[in-house]
Amino acid sequence: MSAVATAGRTAEGRSWAAAWYGLLVGGMVVGLACFVYQWINGLAVTGLSNTISWGMYIITFMFLVGISAGGLIVAAGAELVGSERFASLQRLAVLLSGTAILAAAISILPDLGRPQMVWRMLRQPHWTSPLIWDVIIIGVYLTIALIDLYILTRPNPKPGALRTMAFFALPAAVLVHSITAWIFGLLVARPFWNTALMAPMFVSSALVSGLGLLIVTAHIVDRTTEWEPDRDVFDDLGRLMVWFIAVDGFLLFAEILTTYASRVPDHLKQLNVLLIGRLAPVFWAEVAIGVVVPFAICASRLRERRGWVVAAGALAMLGVFAKRINIVMTSMFMPLVGLAPGIPGGRAGQEFAPDPIYIPTWVEAGILLGLACFIGLFVTLGVRYLVVPERRSTG
Amino acid sequence: MPEPTKVSPVEALPEASREYGAIGEVSDDPRWGMAVDTERCIGCWSCAVICKSENDVPLGMWWNRILTRGEELDTPETGEFGRLDMSWVPLACQHCDDPPCMKVCPTSATFVDTEHGYLVEVNQDDCIGCRYCMAACPYGVRVFNWGEPEYPVEGFDLGMVEPRPIGSVEKCTMCIHRLEEEQVPSCVWSCPAQARIFGDLNDPDGRLVRTIEDRGATQLLEEKGTKPKVYYLEERRRRSL
Repeated sequence: MSAVATAGRTAEGRSWAAAWYGLLVGGMVVGLACFVYQWINGLAVTGLSNTISWGMYIITFMFLVGISAGGLIVAAGAELVGSERFASLQRLAVLLSGTAILAAAISILPDLGRPQMVWRMLRQPHWTSPLIWDVIIIGVYLTIALIDLYILTRPNPKPGALRTMAFFALPAAVLVHSITAWIFGLLVARPFWNTALMAPMFVSSALVSGLGLLIVTAHIVDRTTEWEPDRDVFDDLGRLMVWFIAVDGFLLFAEILTTYASRVPDHLKQLNVLLIGRLAPVFWAEVAIGVVVPFAICASRLRERRGWVVAAGALAMLGVFAKRINIVMTSMFMPLVGLAPGIPGGRAGQEFAPDPIYIPTWVEAGILLGLACFIGLFVTLGVRYLVVPERRSTG
Repeated sequence: MPEPTKVSPVEALPEASREYGAIGEVSDDPRWGMAVDTERCIGCWSCAVICKSENDVPLGMWWNRILTRGEELDTPETGEFGRLDMSWVPLACQHCDDPPCMKVCPTSATFVDTEHGYLVEVNQDDCIGCRYCMAACPYGVRVFNWGEPEYPVEGFDLGMVEPRPIGSVEKCTMCIHRLEEEQVPSCVWSCPAQARIFGDLNDPDGRLVRTIEDRGATQLLEEKGTKPKVYYLEERRRRSL
């Protein structure tokens, strides 16, 4: 976003802007090409198999739904309690929420084996499927974000309009994370997912990662454009982060303690994969960079220095991404009926996969790169045309 | 070269074989089920192999497979008093009465076929390939068409069953195409040990229900509440090496 600042003012700024937009559009072209390649050849070009049948696409989907939380909740929550503290952040926050949820909806397409058939979810929705509930709530959430953005960018915003929206935005935000959690949490076949804490954990992780995204983006936009948030806002966001991480860490601990103490064999087997098994590095990274370090930063006096708060926000986001990986992979590694020779791999030469591994391929990386660039482009344009102009016109 | 004419294997069967595979008497409203006798199963994989050819299941995929109890395939486990034991769990779709895969399917592509003995079937035309059913199935019996189907020999397909499109999920249909011809599924027909009993769970006097009752059959992962229509008859004696 470094270009937005001086874009259109100096020659140097213009060339930076051109490079930045070129990078983003280039990345999107690569992503689109990978998607078409995958569409033609099937999901055989991914690292997925019949055992580990969900991978990076679903993990990214969960993550993007999560980071969409921060914006709307900060904007709407502040509105409901009548706080002026985050007023300067509102436009950016809502822009981030809207972009993230739009990207989440798009990220599900490459996961489908037959994307051309996705319209059948609308023609013949099967109401017992949490996937249908998720499609609906994502649509509602995106609509709310767009309406909020419209209200916030009017020359003379109607007082109270945003507050009225907040009564819809907050329940919708809680629901969008809960329903995404229930996609996993309602499955009897996956003991590790099948916990009532799934929805609360999704909400809390969403708050942590969403707030992290808001902090990091606000910092970058502040540094590269004329847009200026209130002076104390980073300190306030850091304060909020302490609480979000505390709740998220508490829920994680409660879940793991319950699983560990109850000694149910299926559950314990999966927990061991996480604590001491194959996923242990990712899990302990999740705990360290997602909980301990950002909590320590935000709870201590380091919070007074903006650089530390930004670092904490970035780490918290990474930690939540690691958490998404762990949630999906722990269950996928451990089929319930685990007798030899295991589940058929799915392709010639992969008759059985008794000890399945999953390594994402360049196609998956390319598609996700494209998605990241899409988000970057959307946010850049949004910042340039919706977030910054207010100051420019008055200044 | 002219296209070779495909002959339905069921039609091509000699009369005696058709008689051997006949379903026989059933109730007015049959609910198809199966019992697998683990005492009789010798782990030969005949049913798994004939399933592949009957249903043109591509390489790398199995609708029906034989699991070995114990550490690894073909490795006996150490049983009571250090005796070596070996037994198998033939595993395919359990055709649950309360199927978790059906509940999560967003387009109802997976459905309980009330017209055909309450089997769990997949309509691949409606499948969007989200693989939610694969995550939801506790038995791991669903397979996905990851890429173009590959066969050991070109043109090695019987054509009894429609080919499934790339990007869709498939699984055991209980040989629904054979049931329509009043023939038992091919895994039942082909088992050299006669370890599989096919029949109507709604017929209290039928051989299937009587055997399930007499032998105190169990269902796989019964505690998950899926109500499978496939039953397992436990061994009454241990086989030792």
